Amino acid sequence: QAKEFRLGLITPNGHSWNKAALKLGDDLKAATNGRLTMTVFHSGQLGNEPAMMQQLQSGALDMGFIQAAELGSRVPHIAAINAPYIVRSTPSVAKFVRHPAAIKLFEVLPQETGTIGLGWGITGMRAIFSSKDLTTLADIKGMKLRINPTPVYRDFYSSLGAAPTPIPTPQVFDAMANGQVDGLEADLEFSWNQRFDKVSKVILQMNAVFMPMAAIVSGRVWQSLPAADRELITKTVKSTLDTQIDELAGNEPKLIENFKNAPIPIRQVPAGDTEAVIAEFDKVWLPKAPVLAELRKVGATL
Amino acid sequence: MPAFSARGIVVRASSLLLAFERIALMGLMYLLTALILVNVVTRYSHFPIYWIDESAVYCVVWLTFIGASAMTRLRLDFAVTMMTERLSARHRKLAKIIATGMVVVFGVALVITCFLWMDPIGLARAGFDARKLAAETFNFLYTERTQTLNWPTWVLYLTLPIFAVSMTIHGLANLLEDLELVPRTPLKGFQLSELDGVN
Amino acid sequence: MITSAAFIAIMLVGVPIGLCLCLAGLVFIIASGNPVLFQSYPLQLFGGVDSYGLIAIPLFILIGEIMNGGGITRRIVDMAMAFVGSLKGGLAYVNILANMFISSILGSATAQVAIMAQIMVPEMEKKGYDKTFAAGLTAYGGMLGPIIPPSVMFVVYSVLAQVSVSDMLIAGIVPGVILTTMFCIAIALMGYVYNYPKADYQTPRQRLATILRTSPTLLIPIVIVGSILGGLGNATESAAVGAVAAALVGKFWTKEFRFSQLPQMMLRAGVYSAIVLFLVAAAAVFSWVLVFGKVPQETAAWIQSVAKDPVSFMLLCNVILLVIGTVIDGIPGLIMTVPILLPVATEIYHIDPRQFGVVVVINLVLGLLSPPVGLCFFVAAAVTGAKPGKMFMVTLPLFGISCILLVLLSLYPSLSLVLIK
Ligand code: NA
Ligand code: NA
Repeated sequence: QAKEFRLGLITPNGHSWNKAALKLGDDLKAATNGRLTMTVFHSGQLGNEPAMMQQLQSGALDMGFIQAAELGSRVPHIAAINAPYIVRSTPSVAKFVRHPAAIKLFEVLPQETGTIGLGWGITGMRAIFSSKDLTTLADIKGMKLRINPTPVYRDFYSSLGAAPTPIPTPQVFDAMANGQVDGLEADLEFSWNQRFDKVSKVILQMNAVFMPMAAIVSGRVWQSLPAADRELITKTVKSTLDTQIDELAGNEPKLIENFKNAPIPIRQVPAGDTEAVIAEFDKVWLPKAPVLAELRKVGATL
Repeated sequence: MPAFSARGIVVRASSLLLAFERIALMGLMYLLTALILVNVVTRYSHFPIYWIDESAVYCVVWLTFIGASAMTRLRLDFAVTMMTERLSARHRKLAKIIATGMVVVFGVALVITCFLWMDPIGLARAGFDARKLAAETFNFLYTERTQTLNWPTWVLYLTLPIFAVSMTIHGLANLLEDLELVPRTPLKGFQLSELDGVN
Repeated sequence: MITSAAFIAIMLVGVPIGLCLCLAGLVFIIASGNPVLFQSYPLQLFGGVDSYGLIAIPLFILIGEIMNGGGITRRIVDMAMAFVGSLKGGLAYVNILANMFISSILGSATAQVAIMAQIMVPEMEKKGYDKTFAAGLTAYGGMLGPIIPPSVMFVVYSVLAQVSVSDMLIAGIVPGVILTTMFCIAIALMGYVYNYPKADYQTPRQRLATILRTSPTLLIPIVIVGSILGGLGNATESAAVGAVAAALVGKFWTKEFRFSQLPQMMLRAGVYSAIVLFLVAAAAVFSWVLVFGKVPQETAAWIQSVAKDPVSFMLLCNVILLVIGTVIDGIPGLIMTVPILLPVATEIYHIDPRQFGVVVVINLVLGLLSPPVGLCFFVAAAVTGAKPGKMFMVTLPLFGISCILLVLLSLYPSLSLVLIK
């Protein structure tokens, strides 16, 4: 039968996730001659991610593009995908999130969150934008660093000696300009849109962590759908996310070129520095999320 | 009016609640100011405390709903008086009763929605096992924790059922006054002026 | 349809606006036949105030309470008098200038009118001004309150619009100064026509003494505006530091503030902020159901069919908001219109959300100065005994000036954005 889906996500119009969401709606409509349609609620119009999760669980909302941080704060098993140095470049991220090991993480979602995971979308590897000079990981020590407040990131940046400071997204640019923080970590796409280079002295590409997004469906809604529709939706979501992933990874060289043309240096973390950091991180997180060992193994092959 | 009548109980419960709300509002304001000042000091001395922002936000959330309950009883709020001020005294009184009645309607409706959302009966049936409740009803409320304080979120959400119940009680007390079933109670401890607006 | 009918009906009966929004939300859920939304209802209410930017509101209101208890207002009036008192229409300038300084401490128009009318109107009456004009002028002075930072309305707007609170507050500075200047020019002309009296003559030495005696009170606006503008902290932190500054000035300079008053001040600040914050929570629920019912999308389509370019869109908004402002108070008006108009402004007409915020806020503040629900006039009337309707008529030139400012702000984004980094 005909159905109108509602999809919610937190990012504003124009973000690559939003383009993917709109494309998903168009593709579904085209594939079913208008039987299945979709309305996209962007910019958190239906509430923040916890509120959207609640609506997904009750069945008020059909689908969501929810960041791994939100799912990871509920399920440590999922948080493993945010762990540092699983992969070390955006092209590897693009391969990694489509690997069966990453898809398999979704198996715990129905039981732990009442939702069904259909696939990952991505943002690029995160970098540190700093108002003091940085060349190596050791320089991060003592920095006041604005981070995405997911527990994995907090542990990671704390282990580097930074003082993680959670600051709400709309205030980040100010906080940096005002010297409330010495630096911030974010993906390059968001950083370019926000022009963080204008309030920084140096960009350090950490090549450590990335923030993927999961395309999830309400468990209640999923149960009510005929098998053929489920199959069609799964297939359409996969192909939409494939496009999003490839485009994002493909755009990264251009973004880096943009930043290289900015008057501040953009540097890479020397690869040798990371072994001790990984060991310290895994000591805490392997017991919470044993799947991390497997993810590291897979990541190393990419 | 006998002290133990239903009316007496409502009015007294409302006064007692208001006394609690008064203390809580002061306490939350002190706490909020202190949290922000501590945040300024610790951040400038390079020891930012990770959970302060989140605590301050929840402080304001509790302040909102406790204050909203108190202001119901104090009859302080923005309302459109364009039509009611043109009515005759008798009709104005009727409008007042309807308006106060709506407060009670909302209070009761919020109690019901909180009941659906927090599902205390389902929780008891699941033996107060949050994961079992989640598995049975897709209600994951009791398994969630806040991001930086790492408190269970349901503890913070409790302000809503509390608000729903206290607002219902205050609304009933106001309604009894409007129906002239009880005399107006002078409300102690709040020196508020009608002139202090909030725009 | 049912939702808006229910909303208007209960609003006219006099149900508080916050509750009207909440109840309309419930009616919508019933009408939509999607009862599963009831489970999300409480969480949406909670989520509406679960926002960092809103923390500034209780602190801004607290500053006003402390400042008033510390006798700081009176000293600011004295200072303005030492500067411009002996001109023709001196007290009228004093009124506007003192209001401008006090705007940089207080976050609210009505609070400011209540405070200033008590001081300025008797003084102006003594000097031979018409009481109605004095009260009306004070009400217009109060209009500066939510335009010059700090401002509760700008904080609410920035939370609704998801822009930086500091940016929004800074955006109000230039328009606030322009409005003050335009008011002063109008007073000069009106003073000439109506032959306004001069104030008492002060010798230069007396003036200097007054200025020196009162200048420490300037510490408070300097701390608040300076730390936002200079970037020492965000708006919330500047509010907390400003509260401390107000307490210290009140305690050690004016010596009128006592710490034993603090609990009552905290209580009042708590109650008054709850009035605003509950409205924000209610608006979150309401706009959630509107979004679910795709109302903003449909309104956007209608506006697009009427306004073909950004300028005509802005002018259309001015008219809509001015009409809404005449019947609804500032913050509720903000809460009901921004979720619908802002997405259209930014996504279709590519208007800067901060410029749009300045226009919306000033529009709704002007509504506080227009019948039938001109809250500022009612406050001034309650304090002084003047008639609200007459107040509106004698100050009509000031209303015209404010409208001109709105047109300028709509046409030139740089007036709002120039100070923002
Ligand atoms: Na102000
Ligand atoms: Na009005």
